[in-house]
This record gives sequence, structure tokens and C-alpha cells, in this order.
Amino acid sequence: MVLYAKIPNGPLENKWRNYQITSQLINPANKKKLNVIVVGSGLAGAGAAATLAELGYDVKCFCYQDSARRAHSVAAQGGINAAKNYQHDGDSVWRMFYDTLKGGDFRSREANVYRLAELSAPLIDHYVQQGVPFAREYGGVLVNRSFGGVHVQRTFYARGQTGQQLLLAAYSQLYKMKRAKKVQMFPRHEMLDLVVIEGKAKGIVVRDLTTGELKRFAADAVVLATGGYSRVFRLSTLAIGCNGSAIWKAHKRGAFFAAPSFTQIHPTALPQTSEAQSKLTLMSESLRNDGRIWVPKKKDDDRNANAIPEEERDYYLERRYPSFGNLAPRDIASRAAKERIDAGYGVGRLKNAVYLDFKHAIERFGIEIIKDRYGNLFKMYKKITGVDAYEEPMQISPAAHFSMGGLWVDYELMTTIPGLYAIGECNFSDHGANRLGANSLLQASIDGYFVLPNTINNYLANALKEDHPTTEHPEFEKVEKEVAAQINKLLFIKGDKTVDHFHRELGKVMWQECTMSRNKEGLEKAISQIQKIKDAFWKEVNVTGGHHEMNTELEKALRLADFIELGLLMCTDALEREESCGAHFREEHQTSDGEALRHDEKYSYVSAWEYHNGNFKLHKETLEFANVQPTVRSYK
Amino acid sequence: MKVTFKIWRQENAKSNGGFQSYEVDGLTDDMSFLEALDHLNEILVGQNQKTIAYEYDCREGICGQCGVFINGRAHGPLDNITTCQLHMRSFTDGQTIVVEPWRAKAFPVIKDLVVDRSALDNIMEQGGYISAKTGTAPEANAILVGKDVADKAMDAAACIGCGACVASCKNASAALFTAAKINHMNSLPQGKQEAHRRVLEMSRQMELEGFGSCTFTGACEVECPEGISITNIAEMNARRAMAKWHNL
Amino acid sequence: MFLRKSIIALTGLFLCIFLIVHLSANIILLLPQETARGLYNAYATTLRESFLIKIVAYVLYLSIILHVIYAIQITFKNRRAKPKKYLENKLRQNSSWASQNMGLLGVAILLFLVVHLANFWARIKLGLGEGVRLDDNGHVDVYEVTYSLFQNSYYVFFYTVLMVPLGLHLHHGFKSAFMTLGFYHKKGLNILAKISLAYAGMMSIGFGIIPLMVYLK
Repeated sequence: MVLYAKIPNGPLENKWRNYQITSQLINPANKKKLNVIVVGSGLAGAGAAATLAELGYDVKCFCYQDSARRAHSVAAQGGINAAKNYQHDGDSVWRMFYDTLKGGDFRSREANVYRLAELSAPLIDHYVQQGVPFAREYGGVLVNRSFGGVHVQRTFYARGQTGQQLLLAAYSQLYKMKRAKKVQMFPRHEMLDLVVIEGKAKGIVVRDLTTGELKRFAADAVVLATGGYSRVFRLSTLAIGCNGSAIWKAHKRGAFFAAPSFTQIHPTALPQTSEAQSKLTLMSESLRNDGRIWVPKKKDDDRNANAIPEEERDYYLERRYPSFGNLAPRDIASRAAKERIDAGYGVGRLKNAVYLDFKHAIERFGIEIIKDRYGNLFKMYKKITGVDAYEEPMQISPAAHFSMGGLWVDYELMTTIPGLYAIGECNFSDHGANRLGANSLLQASIDGYFVLPNTINNYLANALKEDHPTTEHPEFEKVEKEVAAQINKLLFIKGDKTVDHFHRELGKVMWQECTMSRNKEGLEKAISQIQKIKDAFWKEVNVTGGHHEMNTELEKALRLADFIELGLLMCTDALEREESCGAHFREEHQTSDGEALRHDEKYSYVSAWEYHNGNFKLHKETLEFANVQPTVRSYK
Repeated sequence: MKVTFKIWRQENAKSNGGFQSYEVDGLTDDMSFLEALDHLNEILVGQNQKTIAYEYDCREGICGQCGVFINGRAHGPLDNITTCQLHMRSFTDGQTIVVEPWRAKAFPVIKDLVVDRSALDNIMEQGGYISAKTGTAPEANAILVGKDVADKAMDAAACIGCGACVASCKNASAALFTAAKINHMNSLPQGKQEAHRRVLEMSRQMELEGFGSCTFTGACEVECPEGISITNIAEMNARRAMAKWHNL
Repeated sequence: MFLRKSIIALTGLFLCIFLIVHLSANIILLLPQETARGLYNAYATTLRESFLIKIVAYVLYLSIILHVIYAIQITFKNRRAKPKKYLENKLRQNSSWASQNMGLLGVAILLFLVVHLANFWARIKLGLGEGVRLDDNGHVDVYEVTYSLFQNSYYVFFYTVLMVPLGLHLHHGFKSAFMTLGFYHKKGLNILAKISLAYAGMMSIGFGIIPLMVYLK
């Protein structure tokens, strides 16, 4: 099969306009007759559901949380980028396009990335209109700040709660359309499988998490907006409920999975302190503006941080990257930390952290300035760890964060299954091999508000001519039975280990072999270990409680079953890509001084994996760079 | 560290519930409260028992999904935090910890410690938005918003919708939640067009959902993870009065 | 409920003003007996004969009735909103005792009011019970009624002790009435909290100390 990305003709700047001119439109009277299912209610899902409803489609929106407002977009702290050039500092759509493409180490499509930058400015207008209280100057205009990897100030923010404010805006629009009876909301409903009829996505099977009842929903198109899957590492910055099940089920029904192993590891999270830990809390990256990162020069140094004299500290980022120092990009900072920790210089209870020290900043600026800049973060740090970071350095550690990979989508955000769309973090489109800070809220919003509502019509215009799918179709029957069978199978294993036990096992393997630094041997070992975990899981897990009731243990088990398989694909993908690019660092492919070495001539493609009876088949979408010349990222 | 959890167990919305005690050993003080419950659940699975249902999602204090009544306080013994931000170091070895679901007529128990908070969504549905379609927005800087106005709107908009205000209020009033949303939107120029309608309809829905009236005990602002001030409720009352006057 | 809440707040504030007037008159009781008797009785007569005061009196009765009825209604509605109580509820850690028990305090004040009206209003205005004599100036001798009542240690105790719930009720009620009516100015509310405390203290101590002083005279 040849992957056709449907990139429109014309120069880069005109592609999106050309697309809109030529795509098919639907008469408003006919839109009423079309049903769309949206799975997920984050920025992408809620934005899409609300906008599709405004356009006249009948929308059903599903989320596993108790309310649409909980979706994990809520947790993004930093901000959202837009090429407004309000700061008059030379920003433009082109520059933002280039920064994003370069940040992603030239492993994404030019046309998609350009569209992302192009639509960023109207998106800010849109959010302001919806009542997002962005930070303002005294004169009433919007404020910007800078973020990693760029030389301009283009990040808009609402305190440290930008994601929350954007999500609440999207959620409010969703409920506006619910009131207008154009959206039906299904909170506490989790999609368990996709129904494909005659090659087209026609519905889903969901489990009502309150009653355990399986329900079928048919639609003319299905949109997945289910977010990232970094919970495959178990310990991550993601919400506990975040999962990859919806996209994994879609993958097993025929949707290709692109670049699954591209995972961003965030350098400034709080370290794991015990086996029971469930979550790694993110500390804003802005801390690196004034904090200095170091580890002791002596291995297994058990002294208190303040007792270690200056000359016995190794400020390794400043040492290795003199020009960017503590502000090196996320992937580089994370990798450098892991290198020190693995070499035995880690600090903290589990020797898995590095110090982030504000001593010098406090000496230089005074405690009041530091309090003013980071007061809320220091407070949060104390809340979680009980330690006063004004007195002793913070302990931080890298943590799994964002999934650049996801379902393969074309320019229209449609997967390889006609009628199935993937938007937001659950697709692979704009970030390439590494995502720039403050670009995730942007991509989710653009996909949901601006792109999908303008591309789905191109497909639905033809769906009008077909019969509307109904849940009576035998395919629904079949899929529901398969789902029920899987649930029953899990409930009847009655082994002696908990779901969390297996999740911890999987997480350990994935974290060790498939994160910041990967190698052939390790990945091969990981694949066989995960295979063992999979076998053991299906023999030894114990899921208590029943099917027809609220059963959080069962929910976890279903999600983990998919994570295990996804883990296999991630390692397979990482193994296949014999180069280093962005977040994907293969130890075999580095320069003499330990930096990433890309092989453009061989690997300038998007890996898209097809599922076939438990095996994965690789398809390649070659990336063509007609407007920019891929360069080597250097932060020395 | 060893504690005794005394936890409300209830099979489903229709059944009667009751307290059950569980002695749990092997906890550490840097475990979060929810991780201690996770630990207990793993023990229960080991004994082939049904696990305890409780809610959480982000576990970093922003999604608002977690929330239980712990030792007589919403979100536990500390002020202005969420349940997921509570750590076992806030308890002492050997302590008994009473864990109850949020109690309010508008928040029926679904199972164990899980309650249905969709009443809050219903309030939002009645005007907690600005009626502007995607694609209709003017240039963002065309309408100026003073820093003080934006900051004040943000103070109110920070609400995470956890329901601790309702849970801690003796009247189960949702006034703080409702007021925060109304004041956020009504104080911004973008929200002014439908300000009167918003305050009247949202406050009306709050009553219809079966929440009580505010008597300004102030418990809500102490338990609110975002520390949203009770003066918001007074402001809502003022806005409501103005809207009534306007509609005369 | 918003309207009813506002009425409770408005009537409450009106009663607050009434208490100030009432207390200022009561200060006369602290003067030497002969001066006090003349002044107090003259004052009482003036009030009784003024048409304006008559209207105010009816507003006062109505205020008390509305305040009580709506408070009862809202209290019951609020109880219905919280049908199940917590096994453990540490309210003192997040709110004042008075704010949590306005209903109970209200009942105590109502109890006081019933006795107080029976002691004075019923005797003087309705002519029930023992008759009231006239003083040397021909005014009804309200002073005598008061004075003799406060020679009874049980009454003194009752009149003094029940001023404690009054103070608590006022302390929370005064400030929160303003908030119910929509006063939300942050600094203003901080000042109001201080005024509220001062006012409640003055009323409670003022009313409470007078029977005691009269008794000890």
C-alpha cells in the first residue's frame, strides 16, 4: 500500500487555501442528517465536537472521566505559541514553521507544520473571544514570554494554568452546543473498540463505566481525540487514566500507527521516590532559566547537597553545552541527566535524580525576586516533597511526557481507515521527532477547531449518498461480542498478581530501554521481556469485581492489555530506525562527542506500521523538503 | 508506617452503604494519600476482594476529579489542596483515617467514594460560556483588557470544579463554584453581552439542582484548592441584583 | 431563594439599627434612679404617642416575622440539600462556630424575645398581667416595670446570658447580610468585619450589662 498524504498543490503559503477551495461542501440542510462521533473531550476533542455541532452536524462526544473538563489538556502549564509578532521581534509564520520543523529534527511534513503556524494567530483571537484570561500588560494588550528552542517571544499564557484555561474555554463551548441539543455528552464512557463496515469507520463500542453495560454507537464518521499514551511507561507526567486503547484498537482494525517510539522525555519532573509511586509531577521548565543543574563529582555521594563544596559539584549541562547550558532543549537535557544517573552520580533516595539549585540565583537577585518568579512552583515543590527549595536544591529527574507518535494521518487528519480521523496528541503529524514547548496546546486546538471541521466535509459529502449505518449491523454484533469476550477472559484468569504489578514491570522495561537513549541489544531484550510480561499478564493477573458494575480494576486491566502490545510496537519502531533524531537517540548513531547523528539519506521518512495478526509491517511515507534544507541541530 | 483506614463502602447508588476498617502496613510518609489507597487496593486484590472505588485523574491538583472527605475535612487536613496533593506525612503512625464521599443531595453516591457531580456541568450548561462561534473572533488585541481585570477574571477562572465547596458547606451550596464562573466571564469585555442572562440562568440552575443557599460560613474558601475567595459569592449576588433590575 | 435571602438580610440589618436605638435608650437606666425614672418614662410615652414610631413599630414586627419565617424556610431547604451528614466533620478548622449555628442562635434569641415581650410589651401595651401604675408626671411607669423585673436574679441571669447568642448571631449576621446584598469590595469587607465585631460586642455587652447594673444598684 502506498501512503498518500493528500498534500494540496501550490506553494507552501497557499496550500491550505487551495485545499479549502477545492474540498467538497455540504448543504446546511444535509449536515443535520450526518452523525459524527468524537472520542475524547480535551482541547482537540471538545474543540472539534463544539465546532462540528456549530456547523450543523449531530455530534456525540465521549470521555472516560466524570466530566469533559477533566481531560488532560487541563494540566499543561506553560503556554501556547502563536506567530502574532506582537513583540515586534521578527517573528512570522515562516519563522514559526521553521522553528517547529527544526525542533522536530526534520521528521514531519512541511505542509502540515506550515498550516500549524499559519492558523496559530487566528487561534489566539478565537480563545480571547471565548473568554480565556490570558496575561495582559497594564495597557491591556496581550503579553508574551519565550520558551525553549526559539529566539522570539511568541508564547501566550494564563499564569501557570494555560492548559486549564484553554480547556475550560473548549469545554464551555461544548456545553453551549449541548444546550443547543447539537451535542450529546457521554462522560464515564470508554471506547473499547472501533466498528469498521465495508472498509469504513462506522461506529464504536463503549463501556458505560458506571454500570458496566456495553453500548453501540453508529455514525457517519468517527473522530479519535484521545491524547497521548506515555502511561505505557507507567510513571509519566500524564493523568492516571490516560491510555492508548482507542488508537490501539483502531490500529488493530487497520489504522496505521506512525512513529510510535517518538516520546518526549521532560527533564524537570519530580523523581520517583518509592515503588508505590503513581505519577511524576512536572515542574515548569521555566525553572531552568535561573536554576543550575548539577550532580556530585563523586559517585554515591551520600552527603547532604549543601554539604558538598562548590569544587566537588559537576554542572554537567554547563560543562557539555557551554552556549545553551542549563537551557539546552528538552531531549538533550533529559539525556544528559540520564547519562549521569546511569553512571552512578544520581542523588536522592533512589539515586535517580539530579539537583536543580537556586543558591546562586538567590545570591545574585535576592530571595524576593526568586520568590516573585517561581513562588508558586516552590510552594508546589514543598507541598509534594516537604522540602523548602529556598534552603536546599530541588531534586529533579526526567519523566515520560509527550507522544509525538500516534495514528498516521494525512493532510486531512484522516487515518488509513476512511471515515476515521485522529486529532491532537493521538495522531502523528506536526511535531516530528521532538515537540517544541508550548506547541502541544496549539496543535490540539488547531486540529480540533480549525482543521478537522474544514476537512471532514470532504469525506462526509460522499457519506450522504450512502445508507446511514445502524447499530443493528452484524459487524456491531461481532465487535461487541469480541469486546465482551476479552472482558470475560480477563475476569476469569483469577491469577495472583495485580494489574499494577504488571504495569510496573512493563514500565521498568520501557523506561530502561525505550526512552532517552536506546540501543539494538537493549531493544531486542525489551521486546522479549515485554512478550514475557504479556504472556504472564494473560495467565496470572487477578481482576476482582464483575463486569456489570463500576470496576476500576477492570478498566485498568483493559488499558494495560493494550499498553503491553503498544510497548512491543514502540520497541520495534525504535529498533528499526537506525539513526538518532530528536527524542529518538540510538547509541550506535552518535557523533564522536556524543551528539545525535541523523541519517537523512536513509531515514527521511515517517514510519507507519500496519498491524497484521500480532505482527507489524512497516510502510514508509517519504518526507520531501522542498522549502527548507534539513540542517543539523546544534546547541553547543 | 501503619494506619487504619475507615472507609465508606457502598455497592451502588441504590444500596445502603457503611463503614469498613482496613489496617494497612508498609506505607511511607512520602507516599501520596491516593497511593496509600492504591496500595490498599492491591492488598484487597490479593485477598480476592473487590477494590475500593475512588476518583482521580491527573494527580497533580488541576483536573479536579479527585476528592473525598478525609478525617472531617474536604481534601484532608490541609487548607487549599486537592486530595491527590495530600501526602501520608500529614498523618501519624497508627492513626485512624476516616474517608467519606462528598455528601450532598445534588452529588449522589455512585459507588464507595465516587459521587456524581454532573450537577456542576448542568450549571455550566446554562450560560457558563460566551456565545461566539468558531471563526467569528476579532483580532485579539482589538479589545483591550486591563491587567487588573484580566487578573481578577483569572482568580475566579482558576476553579477546578472539584466540588469541595459543596462538600464542605453545611448547606451543600454550590455558590462558590457558580459565582467563580459567572464572575470570570462577566468581568471580561467579551462576556458582557450576555452577562445578565448568564448570572440569572446559572444561579437559577444552581437552585434547581438541589444545592442549598450560601450562608457565608466561609468553609468553602478554606477547602478550595485554588483558594477562590468567598467575596466572589457576594459579587455574584450583586450581579444578580443588577440583572434583575435591568430586566424589570 | 435569592429574594428570600435578601429579605432576611434586609430585615436583619433593620433590626440591627433598631438595636442601636434600643440600647441608647437603655443607657438611661444607668442614671440615678430619680432622673432615670422621669426620663425613661417620658421617652417611652413619646414613643408610644408618635404616629411615625407606630409605623416603625409595625415594620419592626413585620421584620421579625419575615426574618424568622424565611430563616426557617431556608434552613429546612438547606438541610434537605445535605440529607446525609459526615461521620466526622471538623468544621471548626474551616469556619467559625457562630456561622455554622445561626439557626440555633436564632432560636435562642427568639426564646429571649418571647420572654422579653411577655415581660414588657404584653404588660404595658396589651395590659395583660399585673397593672402598671403612672409616675408623678402622669406617664406610664415603665421604669418601675423594668426596675422591679431586674430585682429578680433569675431574670437578670436570663437577660444577661442570652446576650451571648445575640452577640454571636450579630457578629456573623451583620457582615454576611452585606455580602448577601452584594457588597463585595475586598478592603471594604475587611473593614466591615471589624465593624461587625465591634458592633456585636457593643450590643452584646451593652444589653447584657444593664440588667446586671440595675440589679446591683
